Amino acid sequence: MNLIREIWQSIVRRDPLSTDKGKSELVFLNVWLHIHPAKVKKENLKFKHTYYLGFITFFLFVILVTTGIALMCYYRPYPAQAYQDMKDLQFAVFLGPFLRGMHRWAAHGMVVCVFLHMCRVFYTGSYKKPRQFNWVVGVVLLLLTLGLSFTGYLLPWDQLAFWAITVGTNIGSYAPLVGGQIRELLLGGHTVGEAALLRFYVLHVAVLPSMVILFTVVHFWRIRKDGGLSRPVWKLKAKKPEGLVTIGGTPEVAQLQAVPASTDKTYGLMEVVTGKPIFETITPEEEEDVAFSYPFAFFREGVALMATVTGIMAISLFFHAPLEELANPAKTPNPAKAPWYFLGLQELVSHSALLGGVVAPAVMVLALLAIPYFDRNPSRRPKDRKLAIWLFTIFVVVNLVLIVIGTYFRGPGWALVPPWVHVVAGAE
Amino acid sequence: MNRRAFLSWGTAGMVSLSSAVAVSMGAVARFLMPSVFYEPPQTFKIGKPGDYAFGVPTFLVDEKIFVFHDRDRGFSVASAVCTHLGCTVAHFQSDQKFHCPCHGSVFAADGSVVHGPAPKPLNWFEVILARDGQLQVDKDKIVPATYRLMV
Ligand code: HEM
Ligand code: FES
Repeated sequence: MNLIREIWQSIVRRDPLSTDKGKSELVFLNVWLHIHPAKVKKENLKFKHTYYLGFITFFLFVILVTTGIALMCYYRPYPAQAYQDMKDLQFAVFLGPFLRGMHRWAAHGMVVCVFLHMCRVFYTGSYKKPRQFNWVVGVVLLLLTLGLSFTGYLLPWDQLAFWAITVGTNIGSYAPLVGGQIRELLLGGHTVGEAALLRFYVLHVAVLPSMVILFTVVHFWRIRKDGGLSRPVWKLKAKKPEGLVTIGGTPEVAQLQAVPASTDKTYGLMEVVTGKPIFETITPEEEEDVAFSYPFAFFREGVALMATVTGIMAISLFFHAPLEELANPAKTPNPAKAPWYFLGLQELVSHSALLGGVVAPAVMVLALLAIPYFDRNPSRRPKDRKLAIWLFTIFVVVNLVLIVIGTYFRGPGWALVPPWVHVVAGAE
Repeated sequence: MNRRAFLSWGTAGMVSLSSAVAVSMGAVARFLMPSVFYEPPQTFKIGKPGDYAFGVPTFLVDEKIFVFHDRDRGFSVASAVCTHLGCTVAHFQSDQKFHCPCHGSVFAADGSVVHGPAPKPLNWFEVILARDGQLQVDKDKIVPATYRLMV
């Protein structure tokens, strides 16, 4: 018994969780948990502040990595084998369809959630000082998420995959000057073929996932360094918006004094650095509004994790990921559609490839990146930022409408066909 | 080390470092650009003139070309790759036009754009009679839509 106790002690090395010290040590003595603060503001745990969308996005990514590694055991990235391996996964491999389904639905879910998370951050004004840069990191994560989806789309090597990537990469070749070269670099050739499949595979399983991990680490680190999550909008006071954010502002309190080093403990930076912190701090009168991360924050995150995993599992039990016929470079399906989140783009491209495929997306990404620096309004209260909210809502609605048109209203030959009219497939 | 030496060594250092970085980036880009393409050749033979019936164009699947054989005016070869985003167009007998399934571009019999987002007409390729009596197409040689090979 004593030995077991000793082993456990050697692993956790903290006081019992019944004590406050133990609760804090659980967080900051653990390499995985210490991304959290030991205590969090209760208001930030509220579901209606974040909807836990960032967490759900992250958990979906974890599901994708796990199921993806499993799928890699059966997948070979060569045109002659790839499709056959998908068929095997579908019909011969134990749990194959389930794992493929989880991977596919989690991928769609991640695109949806990362977008909703961005909307939440926008509508709560959480990209404002001092969080501007974390919004930029977020936009990079959004692009990486789309890149992961796009590269994964080719791997089954079916008709859907082949033509979505043919169309998608040809959009890139409209970029002025370097377009053609970029496409050649991406495909490792002039058409979507063997070399392209291998390159997309490398991007999908190695390059992009590691970049997502790198940027997620920065994203989470910045949340801490920006002073934790932003205050929920309903807590913002009318008169003194963001009174606690002091970056660059004139100091309202006396300068902090350098604290003489004490002799009996080690120091965190807060003891030796003078000057004002750049982020929101907890004032003594707010002290009662905070709770220990253990168990309050961890419990909620655990619930979000389990809801995400069980949700994806449940969907995958009932719906299998689609797989069309083997890729056939000679026969374009009619209509040939890109992945749904690119159908808005394809809709624009159907009017003009250069404007819709290159200019519009470039402007959109630049505009997203510029938002926190362009929006000089310091207030985060919805009342004070009607214009910003209107503009962003228009951006969201236009995107959704284009996607809906592309998905449901485009029939053979990209003709406008409402979904309730059944078209007898292609005159050929 | 005096200020002057520091500055000149420093500049030399920065210049060499940045050129090394630039050269390495170039090398990486070049590495990613394949030197050998294992793709079908651009010049290929498509059989004897007699293999092609008059009137209806023959679609060659792997080459993605339409071979036209007109009784009076001879052979011409059109690309089946849509100039918009690369989908394969179909030739409709009903209206003698090329239709693209992806975004609805329509090309007239001479390949010019009638309708839709395609920015350029379909390509026509040079077709010649090789020594062995076979037709030979060169996709690198774009010819005007009026080009004909009489045999
Ligand atoms: C892979 C994609 C992403 C992951 C895994 C992720 C994860 C997270 C998590 C876990 C949080 C904590 C709060 C919450 O759950 O909402 C958060 C906050 C935040 N995220 Fe993301 N995020 C991603 C993409 C984005 C995008 C696309 C943006 C914006 C363009 C963004 C901007 C922000 C900002 C500014 C915060 C701080 C919000 C606040 O303080 O209230 N993130 N993110
Ligand atoms: S690829 Fe032919 S119309 Fe777009």
